[in-house]
Amino acid sequence: MARRSTVTRRSFLQNSAAGIAAAAITGSAGRALAADPLYFATWSAAVDTVKSHLAAFESKTGLKVEYSNSPWAQFRETMVTKFIGKAPIDTLWVSDSWLPEWAEAGWIEPVDQYKSLTAYNSDVDKFCVDSMSYNGKQYGITYYTDFMGFIYNAEILDKAGIKAPPQSWDEVTEQSKIIKDKGLSQSPMLLALAQETWLIEFLAAMIYSQGGRFTDDKGMAVMQDGKNGAAAALRWIVDAVQKHKIVSPSCVETGELAALKSFSSGQHAFALMPKFRLRTLNDPKQSQVAGKTRIALMPKGENGSHATVGWMRFYGMTPRAQGDATRAANTVKLMEWFGGKADGQYTFQKLLFKDIGAGFGVKSLFQDPEMRKLYAEYGDVELIGQQQSLARKKDVITPWFGEWNDVNGSAFQQAILGKVTPEQALKTSGDKWNALKKQS
Amino acid sequence: MNASTLSAPRAWARPWLGYDERSALLFVLPFATVLFAVAVFPIVYSFYISLYSLRLTRPNRVPFVWFDNYANVLSDPQFWAAVERTVTFSVMAVVATAVLGLLIALLLNEEFPGRRVLSALLLIPWAIPSVANGLMWKWIYDSNYGALNGALFQLGFIDSYMVWLGDADKTLALIANAFVWKEVPLAAILLLVGLKAIPADLYAAAKVDGADALRRFFHVTLPALGPTFALVIVYETMIAIRHFDLFFLLTEGGPGDASHVVAWRIYVETFRNLSFGTGAAMSYILALATLALSYVVIRALGRRL
Repeated sequence: MARRSTVTRRSFLQNSAAGIAAAAITGSAGRALAADPLYFATWSAAVDTVKSHLAAFESKTGLKVEYSNSPWAQFRETMVTKFIGKAPIDTLWVSDSWLPEWAEAGWIEPVDQYKSLTAYNSDVDKFCVDSMSYNGKQYGITYYTDFMGFIYNAEILDKAGIKAPPQSWDEVTEQSKIIKDKGLSQSPMLLALAQETWLIEFLAAMIYSQGGRFTDDKGMAVMQDGKNGAAAALRWIVDAVQKHKIVSPSCVETGELAALKSFSSGQHAFALMPKFRLRTLNDPKQSQVAGKTRIALMPKGENGSHATVGWMRFYGMTPRAQGDATRAANTVKLMEWFGGKADGQYTFQKLLFKDIGAGFGVKSLFQDPEMRKLYAEYGDVELIGQQQSLARKKDVITPWFGEWNDVNGSAFQQAILGKVTPEQALKTSGDKWNALKKQS
Repeated sequence: MNASTLSAPRAWARPWLGYDERSALLFVLPFATVLFAVAVFPIVYSFYISLYSLRLTRPNRVPFVWFDNYANVLSDPQFWAAVERTVTFSVMAVVATAVLGLLIALLLNEEFPGRRVLSALLLIPWAIPSVANGLMWKWIYDSNYGALNGALFQLGFIDSYMVWLGDADKTLALIANAFVWKEVPLAAILLLVGLKAIPADLYAAAKVDGADALRRFFHVTLPALGPTFALVIVYETMIAIRHFDLFFLLTEGGPGDASHVVAWRIYVETFRNLSFGTGAAMSYILALATLALSYVVIRALGRRL
């Protein structure tokens, strides 16, 4: 007779308890082995490039990195809620526009003590270092930068008999009138001044080239000063729309992407455009003006220069990363791998440039033969380097930037539409700035 | 002490609810819990938030400010300018929706060939998702490549392409037009149901009394439609006052501040400035205003509603 296998209640409970204990021990050991990875967050750009470079980092260092990305449009809000919810993040992409806000909230920390990161400053454009510094402290290492460029359609200029692109805003007006009179374009100059995130860059570029500023060195509003370049820039736009009719009044509803499409269809002779768009505009698969789109130095105003506005993105470091010496050291390694050199080269910046045409703030890369060759396919590398060296950071980046930016954009648009004078618009903007500064 | 007192259960020992009540409570409890979690709690919590100066980007400084957020909002001239735009938009949108809805309902109330097909087609705009509707109108209104300019130009009504949404004087009317296009079908269907419910003998009696079509409309149709009409007006007013989608998709509040309505300001304050305290206060003000307005309309137009 076969012996009947019996499971008593006691033995069942004992075995279950042993099983649960074993699972718990194995699980915790597993978690320990996974050893608390580094947490790295980006917006959803060049995701495959990031992943491949990350894989190389993990393979080389043996460190584990948890990578997550979310759309650019909601990235700020996503990160803010993650910070508040104390989600684990060690390093992340940061826009220069958010730096004061995040630094004041204590969500990102200065990196001045990490010499392996700050050592790159000497090889980076000054406005990049300025843009990732707040209250005298540096908050990261840059990996991408760009500037607002003045581009033109060489074919339209040829047809109009214009030998060289304009050097000043007065020349932009004159050449545009010639082009318009010859019927080559209804709105020769294209401006994208819709209320969107790009608006501040378009306005800042025009104001800087007129020798103006939004704020002085003490952070007080100077845009409302009639002698400031801000007034000259806004007056130029208003005249261009209402008096000379060389810019379409629809500029106030034209966003950056719509402007790209419009320029690529060959309807315009001149435009302000983020420099990285040159690649798209000179790509025959995406543009009807491929091979005809050139970049020129930003036209200058009467009291201005060829200055433009630059922006940048950088790797920021969180208090969580700095809370532990080992974690901090590993995070610094990761930041340098992406923002600095990896195996002796600026690998990630080169990959990013090849992948999506993203610009770089590293001066030495302008001398890199491979990069020069790539740039030469669609732009004048010398001129691009020269213009980038004249770029300046936005002088309005403060914790209250977003709130002011809405009022400022709205005020500029009202002036362009003729609802208020340029002086009234700038006063509204300046008053709002000073009120917010006082509140802060 | 009598026998009945002795046999009755003591008060503390009696169950508070009977078997049936307890069973009912048990069945209702899951739903009530979910309802509390997703509706009641957020409503109460948002009011609680509105009493704080809560800005997400200033996590270490969240003072209790009593009703300061409400006072600040109500003393802000920009808010009142937004209220004015909201009222302008709502009046344009609701009046046009109600009038067009009534005309279409009257048409569909008549017998004619193709009436059923027309009724089905009428529902298409209503069935289109709001975002798709907004994007469609963005394309139509675009100054450079929009269908509206294309059609007007080809028909010879304009010599060159016009600026539509970029013209501050036209913006609200154009957004209202897009709103009406989507909302008219629902209004028409509701009013058609109301028309069908009017007893035929009322019309017969009016005819016997010698009333012509116009008199029958004003003295029979309109009074009988009162409650349905009130329903349409209240519903569309509530939708129009709180409308956000088209403002977000078509103009983002621009050009200038031409389409800064209250719903847009709530969005900007809450999700761009991340100022949840002020945003919640504005939302409560808007909700209370909507409630009050609805009450007034119901009282004025449809006591039987």
